[in-house]
Amino acid sequence: MHDAGPFENVRTGLARAIEREILQHLQALAADGTETAIDLRSLPMSAADRAELDAALGRGEVSAKLSTMGESEVWETRFPGVWWVRHCGRDGRVIAEQVEIALTPEILKADIADVRAAAMRLRDHLAAREPE
Amino acid sequence: MTLLDFARGPAIDAALIVFVFGIAWRLTWLLFLPHSVDFSPPRPRAPGRIAGAAKGFIRHMWPASAYAGRTMFGVINSYVFHIGLAIVVLGFAEHVLFIRDLTGFTWATLPTGIITVVAVVTLAALVVQLMRRLFDPVLKLISTAGDYWAWFVTTLPVATGIATVSHLWLRYEDLLAIHILSVCLFLISFPFGKLMHAFIVFITRSQTGITYSRRGAEI
Amino acid sequence: MEDWSPEAGTVGEALTRQGVSRRALLKYGSYLATLMALPPTAGKAIAQSLAKAKRQSVIYISFQECTGCLESLTRSFSPSIEDMIFNLISLDYQETLQAAAGEAAEKARQDAMAANKGKYVVVVDGSVPTADNGVYSTIGGKTNVEILKETVADAMAVLSVGTCASFGGLPYANPNPTGAVPVSALVTDKPVINVSGCPPVPEVIAGTIAYIVTFGKLPPLDRHNRPTPFFGDSIHDRCYRRPFYDKGLFAKAFDDEGARNGWCLYELGCKGPITYNSCATVKWNGGTSYPIQSGHSCLGCSEPNFWDLGGFYRPLPDPTDKRPAAVGAAAVAGAAVGIATAAAARSRKRKATHEGGPSK
Repeated sequence: MHDAGPFENVRTGLARAIEREILQHLQALAADGTETAIDLRSLPMSAADRAELDAALGRGEVSAKLSTMGESEVWETRFPGVWWVRHCGRDGRVIAEQVEIALTPEILKADIADVRAAAMRLRDHLAAREPE
Repeated sequence: MTLLDFARGPAIDAALIVFVFGIAWRLTWLLFLPHSVDFSPPRPRAPGRIAGAAKGFIRHMWPASAYAGRTMFGVINSYVFHIGLAIVVLGFAEHVLFIRDLTGFTWATLPTGIITVVAVVTLAALVVQLMRRLFDPVLKLISTAGDYWAWFVTTLPVATGIATVSHLWLRYEDLLAIHILSVCLFLISFPFGKLMHAFIVFITRSQTGITYSRRGAEI
Repeated sequence: MEDWSPEAGTVGEALTRQGVSRRALLKYGSYLATLMALPPTAGKAIAQSLAKAKRQSVIYISFQECTGCLESLTRSFSPSIEDMIFNLISLDYQETLQAAAGEAAEKARQDAMAANKGKYVVVVDGSVPTADNGVYSTIGGKTNVEILKETVADAMAVLSVGTCASFGGLPYANPNPTGAVPVSALVTDKPVINVSGCPPVPEVIAGTIAYIVTFGKLPPLDRHNRPTPFFGDSIHDRCYRRPFYDKGLFAKAFDDEGARNGWCLYELGCKGPITYNSCATVKWNGGTSYPIQSGHSCLGCSEPNFWDLGGFYRPLPDPTDKRPAAVGAAAVAGAAVGIATAAAARSRKRKATHEGGPSK
């Protein structure tokens, strides 16, 4: 969370530790489907650490952009099941960032309440078209 | 008013007033006490008063050979904590800020890591000194409550100071308040007990040097 | 088809009405989890809890204040995710923001209190003057003391926003001509949460309210009744300049070489070691910076009495109540007593010598 100062270019080794933690979680996901997440903003990572982790995890087959209350980016890393989720506010600054170890990231799934509201909206939309 | 407000405010103010009053009282009293005049003529080649005083003071900085064996450990241990105290009190940046606020004087300071090491060694030497006082039969016999109190009010600031810099156990504002209050206790106790030796030692050792060098003896 | 409309009066219903999806709420939940240092998987639970929660009725009253706390909350993020807070609450009364004025405004306050009896949260900013029967701040002819007493009577809890409401703040500073007191001095029968700071970090104000709405209870509080998720760490413990403090490398003056190297600002009066707030982690202006990062020592603005800590540029070791005249007088008095004591000793010796017998 340090955005300034002389430490941003220093690699503290935290990226390596996080990679090992990701491995443990990925093994748990593979074994019995346990889903977890690691909050990157709560750790004292420098910019260099974050870049090192990003380079180590790389990019996979899936990437998604969300436009809700600002932009968010979700991509699968080159390790299926390991997703990078970055939330930005409407002013463009990063407000939350995590590595999710799951079959699908929570934020990509449609919420049942939204689905219900959508069903009602679609019904009303079709009903309004009926008189034709 | 928080504990820190009290420690930095009325407490240290009162302690400094009592300290200054006490030092002025004790020293003035000492210097104006009646003393006997030596009517005998000085021995030939006896040094003058200033030379006698200086030589006497320096000679007393190390035990005479007859006593060196018995007292060497105590002498060295005492030097360790006295020098340690001086380094910590005068070399630590935060202390120099306090002194600068009171007197306007300031000087270059030592890295905090060095101060911490010296402070821990000083604390250890102080504890060893207490052990000596408790377990050496002669020392134990002649020790008074004043001796133990002087040890306590000197060691408490060192211990609380280490805890404050290292942020041990309590929140910093409480640690700093307790440290400042322990220094207040030290300042209030100082003029009225054994700690006055810090000023008096310069007078007494020099006087011994003057008195006996006039008579041709080096004591 | 069944009616799947969300329950009226809930946060979920408010969001659906505005076309804000549950996915947006989940994103907000993740943000809150990070802000409150909760595990990232708590984001989903927070979002679900918020959707079902009733919009919290809030009555915001302002006393001896500069409006900086409200400005902090409403102007800092424009627009951004923190705006969500206004979906979580129903701000039933707020003098600066509301359209109603005069008697219509007073009626709005009375109506909101009656409609949400026992369930509304009172947010107060500004200290309460008590000198001369509280005449130094009145609204609509009523003193702040009266308005406070009347408004909190049926409240669920009180949030003192800003150092003035929490601890008295600037009006309380020496010599306190209006007899200003903190809200907690007058409200003793309801829970009072202090969200201090001059002003408080906007995310902290919003986060505290979000905590209450999400979990349906008050957050854990520290010794000054401030929520520990936001006031648990001191600035010093999270400051990026801490390694310089630990080494003993201090800036001696603003813009000297040490300052330009980003060294610790302890000698320039930084109160970071005794100040508890989120400035060093959450920072200001949407995470842009905080005073120390911008080169200025921490003022200690979220602590009680910070105006009277001795001076913003006087470091912590400096005594605050120096009286050089008293010290000088003590020296003179000590010398006088010393001479008197020595004179007494001399006179005893003289008497002993003149009364015969060997001189002592």
